Amino acid sequence: MSQRFTALYHRLDAQFHRIPAIPRNIGVMALFLCAAYWASSILITHTGGENNSALVFVLAVVFISLLTSGYFYGIAASIIGTLCINIYFMEPYAAFSLSRPGYPVALLSMVAISCVVCALTARVKKQATEAVRREKKAKALYEQNEKLNAEKAAIQLQSERISIRENILRAVSHDLRTPLTSISGAVSVLLESPDVSPKNLAMLADIKQDADGLIVMVENLLSVTRVQDGTIPLKKREEMLEEVAGDALLTTRRRFPDYPIELDLSEDILYLPMAPLLVKQVIVNLLENAIRHSGDREHIVLRLYRQDDWAVAEVRDRGRGLSPEVCQAVAAGQPMPRSLSGDATRGMGIGLSVCQNIIKAHGGFFTAKNRPGGGAVFRFGLPTEGEKL
Amino acid sequence: MSEKQTILIIEDERTISNFISRALAANDYRAIPAYTGKEGLSLFFSHGPDLVLLDLGLPDMDGLEILSQLRGLPREAPVIIISARDRESEKVRALDMGADDYVVKPFGVSELLARIRSALRRADRLKLSQGIQRSIYQIKDLTIDLAKHQVLLGEQEIHFTQNEFKIIELLAIHAGKVLTYDFILEHIWGPYGGTGSNQILRVNMANIRRKLKENPSEPKYIHTELGIGYRMLDD
Repeated sequence: MSQRFTALYHRLDAQFHRIPAIPRNIGVMALFLCAAYWASSILITHTGGENNSALVFVLAVVFISLLTSGYFYGIAASIIGTLCINIYFMEPYAAFSLSRPGYPVALLSMVAISCVVCALTARVKKQATEAVRREKKAKALYEQNEKLNAEKAAIQLQSERISIRENILRAVSHDLRTPLTSISGAVSVLLESPDVSPKNLAMLADIKQDADGLIVMVENLLSVTRVQDGTIPLKKREEMLEEVAGDALLTTRRRFPDYPIELDLSEDILYLPMAPLLVKQVIVNLLENAIRHSGDREHIVLRLYRQDDWAVAEVRDRGRGLSPEVCQAVAAGQPMPRSLSGDATRGMGIGLSVCQNIIKAHGGFFTAKNRPGGGAVFRFGLPTEGEKL
Repeated sequence: MSEKQTILIIEDERTISNFISRALAANDYRAIPAYTGKEGLSLFFSHGPDLVLLDLGLPDMDGLEILSQLRGLPREAPVIIISARDRESEKVRALDMGADDYVVKPFGVSELLARIRSALRRADRLKLSQGIQRSIYQIKDLTIDLAKHQVLLGEQEIHFTQNEFKIIELLAIHAGKVLTYDFILEHIWGPYGGTGSNQILRVNMANIRRKLKENPSEPKYIHTELGIGYRMLDD
């Protein structure tokens, strides 16, 4: 019930304040003075006394000062009211006179009372508006606080999500690597053992090859989940590119001992911030691509050099070269065409996408081209920012 | 050697422990498997193995805790750490606490056997020398003469700066063992020398490699342990 009244009051109040200030105040004053005059003229016919009219006018002054802004209208109303009483409700009627004994005192005290009432109501009003202002401010603060809390919760959720993801990655990597290690390990023990028939030996070699392939695939998948959407920041540190490349070559050579891969080092020392395991993986992938897809056995070269502010690594071969689709996809930074993820190429597409993602996360460039004399060249550059050499 | 060398395998993954045991048996070692940290420690006391393979991710005890207990004993045996790939700081801590070497899952059998041979050889050498420092180290065709302050590659002398020589000397004395960046920095430049960055060390090492004509993809003398440190090869 009271809520409906409050709502009604607020609506009326809003309507009321839409009228411009001066006509509104004058109107309020005229309305209440007329009402007081009307009430007093009714009262005078019943009582004949003059004191009642003064009270009625004081009441009108109270209302006027409540509903108008500032002191002015209240004081004006009290003066007009006093004159009104003098002229209409005191003998002699319909004339202004100060002849009655004691009347000037009554007149002055009436003005004084009106002024005090007026000042008091103005103060109450000021306090009321102050209270409203405070309430608004408190509400704004509260809302801001709510907003901050919501933001804090969102950040917390995000960091929780990251840590959950880290945990899942760790668990998955452990649960995949451990069995793969033991499969590959057990098979290599069997391969060395004297009591395996040659027929079974070939099958064991296949198992070993596939297990090792899976290990590489798992590394790629883990890296790509790590880098993909940039939610997990790269753990970069300063590293020698030649040491990373050397390690990558060692890993590749262990898997493909029959391929002579040349390493061409620059005299420059390339020491720059990177996530070394990820960069190593890019090089391993590029070397494996060259070994598996180029058809070239003799001329695979890994070369490191500096070009302006970039530390560049390139893997080139003299094989069958790249199809226009691959060149296009790499140039546009798009995922590899679907035809490449088929059986025949055994995940060349995934390997290259991983490379692209990792290099992009480092703020580097990645290109794939055909060489003038035949064969392909993959190049990537990492920014040597903040290098002090 | 008449008696087989004993190797204690502290590893909770049975499949991995099994194939390591088989590989060791096939290569004339005696393998003792332990599947928890506590079991590992008690088997160490009862068998006194010549070498310990220690997985850092055990269910019942922190691997580093086991390592520090093993290191506190009078009977020393080289320890090779088995660890996950992306836990470099853990490996570095283990090496700084006295582990000799590490392998990373997924590792190959031949790699593991090579590390075991190297660690056992090193332990033998230490036993023979009884703490007396040698003054000449020979690694393939590289001769390092500590007394003469001279490095010969074949017949040819190679000139190194003061710090470069100190690094080679340190690596030669600990040949076969992985030395972490921090270990080398502290020994060459003092406890405060290498604070913040190990760039000086890395650049020195790049220069050493160039002078030795080392190819980082086919290391003959100094092996790079990516993100961890360096090791001088001892065979």
